[in-house]
Amino acid sequence: MAVKTFSRDHLHFVLYEVLGMEEVTAHEYFNGHSRETFDMILEAATELAEEYLQPAYRAVDREEPQLSDGQVKVHPLVHKFYHAYTESGLMAATFPNEWDGQQLPRTIAAAVQFILSSANNSFVMFTDLVKGVANVLLQFGSEEQKALYLPKLLSGQWAATMCLTESQAGSSLSDITTMAVPAGEAAYHIKGQKIFISAGDQDITENIIHLVLARIEGAPAGVKGISLFIVPKNRPGADGKLVPNGVESIGIYHKMGQKATPAMHLEFGGSGTCVGYLLGEANRGLQYMFQLMNSARLEVGLAGVSVASLAYCTSLQYARERVQGRRADAKDPNTPPAPIIQHPDVRRMLLIQKAFTEGTLALILQCYKYLDLLKVSEGPQKQHYLDLLELLTPVAKTYGSEEGNRSVYQALQVLGGYGYTTDFPVEQIARDARIFPVYEGTTGIQSIALLGRQIPQNNAQAVDLWSEQVMPDIQVALESEALQLYADQLNQSIEAWKSVTGLLLRIREERGNEAYLANATLYMQLFGILNVAWQWLRMATVAEKALSGSTVTTERKDFYHSKIQTMKFFYNYELTKCKVLCEQLTSEEQLSVYNPEAEILI
Amino acid sequence: MKILVCITNVPDTTAKITFAESDTKLNKTGIQFIIGPYDDYALARAVELKEQNGGTVTVLNVGEAEGEPQIRKALAIGADDAIRVNAEPTDSYFVASQIAHIAQQNNYDLILMGRESIDFNSGVVHGLVGEMLGIPSFSPVMKLDIEGSTAKFAREIDGGKEYMEAPLPLVFGCQEPIADWKIPNMRGIMTARTKPLQVVEPVAVDDMAINEKYTQPAAKGECKMIPVEDVEKLVTLLRTEAKVL
Repeated sequence: MAVKTFSRDHLHFVLYEVLGMEEVTAHEYFNGHSRETFDMILEAATELAEEYLQPAYRAVDREEPQLSDGQVKVHPLVHKFYHAYTESGLMAATFPNEWDGQQLPRTIAAAVQFILSSANNSFVMFTDLVKGVANVLLQFGSEEQKALYLPKLLSGQWAATMCLTESQAGSSLSDITTMAVPAGEAAYHIKGQKIFISAGDQDITENIIHLVLARIEGAPAGVKGISLFIVPKNRPGADGKLVPNGVESIGIYHKMGQKATPAMHLEFGGSGTCVGYLLGEANRGLQYMFQLMNSARLEVGLAGVSVASLAYCTSLQYARERVQGRRADAKDPNTPPAPIIQHPDVRRMLLIQKAFTEGTLALILQCYKYLDLLKVSEGPQKQHYLDLLELLTPVAKTYGSEEGNRSVYQALQVLGGYGYTTDFPVEQIARDARIFPVYEGTTGIQSIALLGRQIPQNNAQAVDLWSEQVMPDIQVALESEALQLYADQLNQSIEAWKSVTGLLLRIREERGNEAYLANATLYMQLFGILNVAWQWLRMATVAEKALSGSTVTTERKDFYHSKIQTMKFFYNYELTKCKVLCEQLTSEEQLSVYNPEAEILI
Repeated sequence: MKILVCITNVPDTTAKITFAESDTKLNKTGIQFIIGPYDDYALARAVELKEQNGGTVTVLNVGEAEGEPQIRKALAIGADDAIRVNAEPTDSYFVASQIAHIAQQNNYDLILMGRESIDFNSGVVHGLVGEMLGIPSFSPVMKLDIEGSTAKFAREIDGGKEYMEAPLPLVFGCQEPIADWKIPNMRGIMTARTKPLQVVEPVAVDDMAINEKYTQPAAKGECKMIPVEDVEKLVTLLRTEAKVL
């Protein structure tokens, strides 16, 4: 029997009662869908997870992919999943009908992703990369490139990767050195090495399409001289047969977690000619790649929530079954021991997980809903959703991954000594989760993107843009006697955030970027908490309204009551941290700023 | 070839079962319903046979409107159309009578269903349907091929398998591994919305059984760990407490 990895009730609550997916399906592009199709798709995803993902989770952790004679072999269970996934049609689901897609809203695709990742987070990296690369090709590829690559990718016949990182550059993409030398008709000879390439090699598909960032010979220095190239592992020869394209697997990393997915060190054009094909215009590669990166960032945030969901479900079940100790007021030693779920400290740890998992899932699905509305909007309205996504994507990525780790930490603690053993999956979840704050842009990079770029641009317009989204929900909650107190608390915290933002922007003008950005990660924490508090207020408002209905069943009353109480928990235990964060952010003593004349780190 | 697949609408295997109306009915609140797992195998084999031999697959469910998502799922898996007999399935005789009534009007070559449902587990509906239609029925069938107008199949028997063949029409109660379990794909889900689902009223059938009361199984007792060197104590407990010796 499959162990629960997520709450179906909560997922449906967010999709149908909080987000209101009918706002999306009202648009012609999405009107082939309805709740009926959504439910069937979510159930199919659950079956896929139960059949191919969950049973494989532990096994693939013990048998890493192997690099032998220049070829990577991945676990047979990854093959089984990849083929089942492509047969399910999910690879092309969000793509337009003309590419054999079903125009599924990204919000529902994200819910599918949440279900799959909660069962096995590393398998889905293979398929996510294919979808992401196909999306970039759809947006920026030439008609010939689309015709050649999209059918192969969307059918799963070929897989794909993105190749950004180089050993000497790391997160600093402006320093990459992979070169592209013109070789006629939009073709280039690619030469260089890339590291940490997820699913960079495997033995599932006959070909892998790498999207590679490189500099065309003579291009300007820095990010303005980076172009994007399509580099197949095997290129079609004159007779149509695939021939090796000078892409070599020269190393495989032995990772702490996510062991099903090989992280590769690849060399392009090292011992043979490697041909790449320019995607879009020269020197605009980073801009194109960011389309893929932004999508990947939301997926990483979602993965953080997904693994936290698995850890929460596991620790909740354990706490219900594990009988140990007595309640604090039970003086009689003959009193039977209590399930540990009755102990307040264990409950606190479980509530941290519940509040994070459910609140952050709502935030990330909200972002995906903006993506859907962006797809069907024009003019200023399109720019509105674009601005919201630019602002919230780094927050979704960072809060989901950082707090996801903290949530998993609580699950480990609930299991006590057993959590540290391989008898339970939580130790594996903890190892898997640790990569999320690192890849697709570290927490530091995301925080600098938020405070350094999104907040100050256009006279800090983002502050008003975000507030305009939140204030209507606060106003509604202020009208509820039961929620007024919490709406007021959120309102005050937002005012404090605005005040801190103003102060920081003055520091930027007066003391420069280094002082301004020194505590960008704390600013990210503050803004993340505000966002999830906003989502909790929305959910509590829906729950409060539903409870006043006359037809609500006893079971449903318990469900809605639980939502309101968890909102209160989040406000008591998390929103209150805003005060301290505001104090830290406005402290005069900026101890982390480098001062060569008085170095602290000695 | 015309195939009829009968599906049940049963609580998910992980559902917590409680009763309502003075313990005379299942409390359906909050329960996730699924297609009976054995019926799922029957449906999967029917779809495979249609792909191999051509023909049609019709899904039949005796149940109320709340079961329509499961019928749509069966259509998404590959059935061509569906019939729902609009009635609460009260007992095996009632369900078999409804199936037989529909089958009499449509001349199916094959009538497939699970070897049993997983709620009441009577395991007799296929036999009753065969009897009512005057055609042979076999269960539990774990392998099935069609050659012309002949079915070649394997049935599980005590200690092994029985390989048989018989001319169509036939009724089969199915179980794994008759086919690979199928998960609906995106294309199937999108087309299922527009496939025909006919709702018909039940034929009158005399009540053959009345459910007076349901009870939960007794809660599991505490697990006692007996040290390996204390076999005598184990034997004593098996005699005095478990009373199995």
